[in-house]
Amino acid sequence: MAQVSNDAMERKPKIKKDGVKPHIVTFIASIILTIIAFMATAYEVIPAGFTVPFIIILAIVQAAFQLLVWMHMDQKGHEFARVGIVTGSAVVLVTIIAFVTTLW
Amino acid sequence: MAADHAVNTVLPDEPEKATLEGKNKVLGFWLFLGGETVLFGTLFATFIALRDQVNGGPSAQELFDMKIVAWATFLLLTSSLTSVFATMALHKHNLKAVQGWLVITVLLGLGFLGLEIYEFYHYVHEELGMTTSAFSSSFYTLVGFHGGHVAFGICWITGLIIQSMKKGLTVVTAPKFYVAGLYWHFIDVVWVFIFTVVYLMGMIGGKAVA
Repeated sequence: MAQVSNDAMERKPKIKKDGVKPHIVTFIASIILTIIAFMATAYEVIPAGFTVPFIIILAIVQAAFQLLVWMHMDQKGHEFARVGIVTGSAVVLVTIIAFVTTLW
Repeated sequence: MAADHAVNTVLPDEPEKATLEGKNKVLGFWLFLGGETVLFGTLFATFIALRDQVNGGPSAQELFDMKIVAWATFLLLTSSLTSVFATMALHKHNLKAVQGWLVITVLLGLGFLGLEIYEFYHYVHEELGMTTSAFSSSFYTLVGFHGGHVAFGICWITGLIIQSMKKGLTVVTAPKFYVAGLYWHFIDVVWVFIFTVVYLMGMIGGKAVA
């Protein structure tokens, strides 16, 4: 079960593009996006009717940030991850449209 | 430490993907997350369709306390960052740091859960029961389901921390940490949408926009 492909004994972990920086950037970006969304609804700076699409776009941007950076979906070897999430999201979109327009 | 498995080996760079079992675990977990997306998506769809049907009970606009929600959002977002740090520590083979960051993650998760329980308690006292209206049922189901996921995650990660004290950091335990980290991020992503769709759109107040 636990077969490790270990070659050398003296190995130092080489961490490829996994520095702290992108994660901190994502964190700060998430906070800023949340605050913008909050401001947009609380102070009605955006023409009425556009607020909902606007904050939903902000949420999608934030989700993309977290999926790609925090969950490493931008790195190679995540093809199935993409298939899973994109398929799931597609089903969700269809479900929401169906529920809102036809059911109830 | 590492009493049971892989005793004499040096940990590889990405210990969570060093074995076929680990690789499959990560792959399988992503497919599970795809399923979770659909699960939460249907609850979202139900909520969006029913959120204006208050049946004489309190509406979202009258009810929501954005201060609590803002704090809950901040706690969960921060816990997502600390679980990133745990995964980074995992890649540096630093078990102490993994455990430390996960403990902080669990504490922040507990804080979030406490706020949510207080919030629900408060709403029930404002006459918003599970069966009050279509809005209340879909609200409690969606947000409560997310809270249930947080509670499960807290138990899971606590279990991992305890197990790691015995088993250490090996190619067998590493995938568990990694996958739990993915789970925790996913819970945070779901919350981003709950914050937007349930709370912010609730503040605007349903059909008033159109």
